[in-house]
Amino acid sequence: MGQLDYVILESDRAVVSGRVLEHESSGNAMLAELYRAHIADWPKFFKMDTLSKVGFVASELLLKQLSERRCGSEEYISNRAIVLFGTTASLCADKNYQETIQDIDNYYPSPALFVYTLPNIVTGEIAIRNHYRGETSFYVVEGADAAQMAFHLSCAFADDRTESVLAGWVDSTGNDDFKSFFTLIGKDDVEGLEDKIKTILNKTNI
Amino acid sequence: MEEMILKLKQEIIEVLNLEDVQPSDIDNDAPLFGEGLGLDSIDALELIVLMEKNYGIKLQDPAKGKEIFKSVNVMADYIQKNRTK
Amino acid sequence: MKAGQVLITGCGIVCAIGNDKGQVLESLLAGRTGVGPLKYLKTGHTEFPVGEVKMSDTEMERAMGIAPGTPTTRTALMGMMAMHEALGQACLEKDDLPHVGFVDGTTVGGMDKSEQYYLDFIDNDSRNAYIGTHDCGSCSEMIADRFGRFKFITTISTACSSAANAIELAADMIRLGEADVVVAGGSECITKFHLNGFNSLMILDHGQCRPFDAGRAGLNLGEGAAFVVLESAESAAKRGVKPVAMLSGYGNACDAFHQTASSPDGEGAYLAMMKALDNAGLKPSDIDYINAHGTGTPNNDLSESQAMKRVFGDVMPQVSSTKSLTGHTTSASGSIEAVICILALQNGFTPVNYAFEQADEGVIVPNMKLAPDRELKHVLCNSFGFGGNDSSLVISNVSNN
Repeated sequence: MGQLDYVILESDRAVVSGRVLEHESSGNAMLAELYRAHIADWPKFFKMDTLSKVGFVASELLLKQLSERRCGSEEYISNRAIVLFGTTASLCADKNYQETIQDIDNYYPSPALFVYTLPNIVTGEIAIRNHYRGETSFYVVEGADAAQMAFHLSCAFADDRTESVLAGWVDSTGNDDFKSFFTLIGKDDVEGLEDKIKTILNKTNI
Repeated sequence: MEEMILKLKQEIIEVLNLEDVQPSDIDNDAPLFGEGLGLDSIDALELIVLMEKNYGIKLQDPAKGKEIFKSVNVMADYIQKNRTK
Repeated sequence: MKAGQVLITGCGIVCAIGNDKGQVLESLLAGRTGVGPLKYLKTGHTEFPVGEVKMSDTEMERAMGIAPGTPTTRTALMGMMAMHEALGQACLEKDDLPHVGFVDGTTVGGMDKSEQYYLDFIDNDSRNAYIGTHDCGSCSEMIADRFGRFKFITTISTACSSAANAIELAADMIRLGEADVVVAGGSECITKFHLNGFNSLMILDHGQCRPFDAGRAGLNLGEGAAFVVLESAESAAKRGVKPVAMLSGYGNACDAFHQTASSPDGEGAYLAMMKALDNAGLKPSDIDYINAHGTGTPNNDLSESQAMKRVFGDVMPQVSSTKSLTGHTTSASGSIEAVICILALQNGFTPVNYAFEQADEGVIVPNMKLAPDRELKHVLCNSFGFGGNDSSLVISNVSNN
């Protein structure tokens, strides 16, 4: 198997398997711009926290890129797992929610912000969109270590059901500050996975 | 009342992040939940927070929201009658 | 992948109904709830009953021999207590740890100390040492560092199914031959952060929670930690340790319905249970008891009941939610309830579902009996998390196999 298709989505940069996507804005505005230009049929996007927005747009761009080449049966798609990694988890959403409980005189905890104070909500948002019912995991790790990621991703295939994994790195330290890459891994891609991930990581600023 | 309804619609659009929705897109008598705006249970909770934050109405039972959020008209009427600020 | 048995050679637990296995067993057999008025968490929301661990941070520090003034968190301290008990039962000592992995589940992490010292972080430098204790990974490392150098440490945050998923990952590693022994589970303390959050979702009961009851009105937050020592049969034989139970199967599925709510037909829960049974090579009729996720919210208990009915049909095993005793221990619930299942298997009883009075339409009727009189072979343990992350474990008796 050759190299993996990928999407890199960073505060001011969107790349789909080497092809740079044009955009005028940056940060959160860029996410909305890309959503309007390439997706546009999921208004719940605007309710998401930044981590989920990044994961959602990146996964959509990736799946769009792959649609001609990797279709599969309904079961194949339904069994797909989502395994993501990051260092700061839901920190950005935590801060936004904290602001709603910070001031005793203006104390209105926001349910819509609270639900995003979990890093795995981003995996849930992607699963809801695509009807994936496989494993969903978000690993909080110290740094982007290709060997560690390859190990956990290969573990995801251990259950006899999982045939493909939507995998990636996603971190957002502020509403306009994020880094991510997404890729889709099949069982055949497990061999030499560490090097394949390294190749993608080298193209990012992670 | 007209003014109140317009203000309420703007508040709903803002707090629920209904991007690309204009106040005129929301029918005064149409149900807020179910078809149409695509709102869910978290949105209902945000509307409960909105009523407390902007109008001083404290709702203890989330099930009560079902009646109040039947339409913008019903919601505006409820707020008029129960507001404390 | 089914090759290779995954034995459980030790476990440890601390929660609202006991600071170790002995105390927890006693409370379970007595059907005694640990849910009560707030004592240790400093918050204005005293109207909510909670399942707190009945020890202060200082008492736990003393019990674990942590020098006063060492930056630590309640999540880490409870984790140390459970780890201490688990390692002890599995006869694992400091010198063994470089061969032992550690997979920890937590989502709140060190939020408790960040809440206490947040203003100090901004105003002065007196508490800066606690900034480094905030994140989830640092809690796992504090737990590990108390005992020695582990082969590896990994932290999983999938909300309320974190500990169950930690156990699943650890078991995968053993089955794949990546590790011989892995300690897995989770730890989580109550904080203002998620007490407020759950309150904003209006899913906290103002009284004792009543899982599966017609009048159920939400959950009680709990806290605690539990770890199980998972080990390959070869390693256990080589070390000469006896298993306390076996993890015979497990499954994880995504509900793919909503960020926090469960789907009406419980699709994710259904898939997780079916996967776990399939993975264990068992039929639904082999299951003697289900420790349900059973939070006590109107939505979860109905959805989970639908899923259980789809799996088990008319022959429903006995079911209970021990969250009625411990409170909902969020990220730690998967391992806390797994240890409760192990105690039930070893001692032959079905844990009671406290505070159930009236059956509800479409909802299962849980076990309300206290008699320790049943031999259990296989039990199922459910843990579902926000994000639709649903996990199910099958734990089996080793003395009768």
